[in-house]
Amino acid sequence: MPFNSYPYFIFLAAAVLGYWLLENRSLTGRRLFLLLASYAFYAWWRADFLLLLMGSTLINYMLGREIELRRARHADRRLFLIGGLIFNLGLIAVFKYQTLFVSTANELLNIGLPISEFFLPLAISFFTFEQISYLVDADNGKTRRYSLLDYALFVAYFPHLIAGPIVRHNDLIPQFHALRSARALDLAAGITLFTIGLAKKTLIADNLAPFADAIFNAAGRGTPLGLTDSWLGTLFFSFQIYFDFSAYSDMALGSAVMLGIRLPVNFLSPYKAASIIEFWRRWHISLSAFLRDYLYIPLGGNRGSRARRYLNILITMLLGGLWHGANWTFMLWGGLHGLYLTINHAFRHLTHGMTPPPVLRMPLHALSVLLTFSATSLAWIVFRAETLTSAGNVAGGLIGMGDSAVVSFSPLAAVTLVLLFIIVWFMPNSMEIMWRHNPALPSPYEKEPVKPARRFAWQPTRLQAFAYGLLCIIAVLALSNLKPFIYFQF
Amino acid sequence: MKQTRYAFWFLGTVALGIAALMGFNWAAGAYILHHRAGASVQTLSGFERALKPVWLTQIRPELVFVGSSRVRDGFDPVLIDPALGVKSFNYGASSMTPYEARRFAQDALAQPSVKQVVVSLDAFTGHGGPGEALPSFDETRLAVTPEGGPTPRRGLWLFTTRFLSGGALGMNALSVYALARLKDGESAADRPDIFNAYSHMSEAVMQRDLTYRRARTLTMGPGPRREFATLLASACNAQARLILFFPPDHAAIQARYREGDAKGLEAFKQTVRDAVARHNARCPSRAALFDFLDANSLTTEALRDGRSASYVDLVHFRPPAGLWLLQQMRLKGEPSN
Repeated sequence: MPFNSYPYFIFLAAAVLGYWLLENRSLTGRRLFLLLASYAFYAWWRADFLLLLMGSTLINYMLGREIELRRARHADRRLFLIGGLIFNLGLIAVFKYQTLFVSTANELLNIGLPISEFFLPLAISFFTFEQISYLVDADNGKTRRYSLLDYALFVAYFPHLIAGPIVRHNDLIPQFHALRSARALDLAAGITLFTIGLAKKTLIADNLAPFADAIFNAAGRGTPLGLTDSWLGTLFFSFQIYFDFSAYSDMALGSAVMLGIRLPVNFLSPYKAASIIEFWRRWHISLSAFLRDYLYIPLGGNRGSRARRYLNILITMLLGGLWHGANWTFMLWGGLHGLYLTINHAFRHLTHGMTPPPVLRMPLHALSVLLTFSATSLAWIVFRAETLTSAGNVAGGLIGMGDSAVVSFSPLAAVTLVLLFIIVWFMPNSMEIMWRHNPALPSPYEKEPVKPARRFAWQPTRLQAFAYGLLCIIAVLALSNLKPFIYFQF
Repeated sequence: MKQTRYAFWFLGTVALGIAALMGFNWAAGAYILHHRAGASVQTLSGFERALKPVWLTQIRPELVFVGSSRVRDGFDPVLIDPALGVKSFNYGASSMTPYEARRFAQDALAQPSVKQVVVSLDAFTGHGGPGEALPSFDETRLAVTPEGGPTPRRGLWLFTTRFLSGGALGMNALSVYALARLKDGESAADRPDIFNAYSHMSEAVMQRDLTYRRARTLTMGPGPRREFATLLASACNAQARLILFFPPDHAAIQARYREGDAKGLEAFKQTVRDAVARHNARCPSRAALFDFLDANSLTTEALRDGRSASYVDLVHFRPPAGLWLLQQMRLKGEPSN
């Protein structure tokens, strides 16, 4: 059930109402209600894959408990941890990557292995990563013998189930037991945050999509793109994915807030970043924190030589890229970001201790933001393109290698781009607007804390209620057709 | 309790807005369906992709026209229904992509009331890729999925489209505005200033169009060819009959197509003829094919008193010409291939 659909609005209203009725009466009842609601939410899409979700949950829970028990007894638990990792990674490998790996092997080795067609279960990448983190934490003694109900709810809790944020058990499960005192504030803040997200999705991201799609589709058909097409396609997609993912994160967090639960901050104006390192502390924060804690650090992190550190970054980002989808273009996208991060770290090392004169700080910062935006936009080309040839057609067009004219550079396009740059570079983000009212768990990156907005800060006044209500109506009107979130496919 | 008041005002604003929207869309829908010239709004250009699937299920026609703006402009049920004694529906939409044309035709073929689906083949030209559609096109409103199965929860999507969507609001507002401006006894044909499909091509429009469409060709790329093949496969066992036609673009623009890519144009026609012949050889539901993209009395029509009786511009024919085409199809009766 996509967040941007009428059925979800009805479902959410029923879930909030049901939860409110049970909230102070039965702790078990309200958790059970949320679990059943979450399963219904997942089953709306395809009921048969609910069994996969439930089966995966049960197996991971049992493995986690066994690891906990063995840890308490100081018994060997490696078999269970490794078995759990193989089970989870195997599940993703079969459902998500089997076609890619087999078809690549067939192409390279000319061996003709049969390719089984599996339907990709929704959210498999997200709930598998969350359960891997649970098993690893159980092995490290960081789990607390949760009940099956708590664990199943942690995995399936509907606001984060489909496309994140990737949550940790210790962030979420204690909240299922907490009693809250500010239900009205939660409802007010939640519906506002949800409305901001809905407006970003239907009014901005979905209106950019047709232009980006037309251009990338032309490139996919082998058309060498012209200068205007390439630049507009790249910029429009950069903004489309920004607002699409930002919208999703706001709607997920807003839905959770209405139920009194805080999910981690996941999106924090990434195009304001002045370096790629900072970009990854602002874009899909829960994924980058997961990759850091469960991949980069176990690989050795920054403990070895500088070369080893850079290799660890590259491996982490390559796998992080592949996590997004079964296509080598995603791996290349991850590899590009790995390269960017390596260059960024090397530059930091070279310039360590150097400070620019005060007069140059502002221009240098602006230049850094522009450079970071350009680098990420270039990388979005391979992310969006379906093949490397198609990506080549778009990238070649940026330097005028083609002559297509899929779209024309109109004054409206110019004004749209200027407005979009103003929004992403100069306006406060939804977290900053709502921050005084506690809409999310803080970012794990202490160097990038959320700074509450001043002028645009949300206040529960009648005027703002009316304004956000109107925004909600306009956003609902734009829901003429159902466009899935980009991150739903991962 | 400031936050409770906030939620009250927010939800109150949304509820009132939604109620007003639903009320307007309900009233407008009833007004359009019951107006004597109501069906003429199907020739209007606006948000037709959003609301036409809803109208299709409400009207329950026997004869449906599918295609681009040529179809949207050229077939007015107000003119056709009494003349042919059928209930028809114009399922045309601006700049229809090959994928959309296939999907709209599949939708029409799947309606229990529909006996004939007339498709203009220009919708299957160009170089479109698989799945390409314009922004307001939405699969969920159609009776069948791309694979041919029933669309899950379609009733819900049709309901929300009809009452809650901005597309419905736009199309209803446009239609009500157009119909309300018709005086007693007037039809859409009397008001070409509102119903553009009834306007007449002038010499100036013709020259402007020749300049505007100077590089236009009519060829069928691999994507449209695939979509056309899928459409024929869908129609193989359908209860409704598929009637295909090459549109009667004016002779002046046909000359441009030939100048631009004569081989491509002939290949397009031959591909369609071959595909239809194969279809008819193996399918119980035979398709008819008519070719008006040639020199005939309609396409070679000269302007009289500085205006055309049959064309809005070089590719858009007027509803009387649309009726003439249907009469020609009936006269011919059997497939031309």
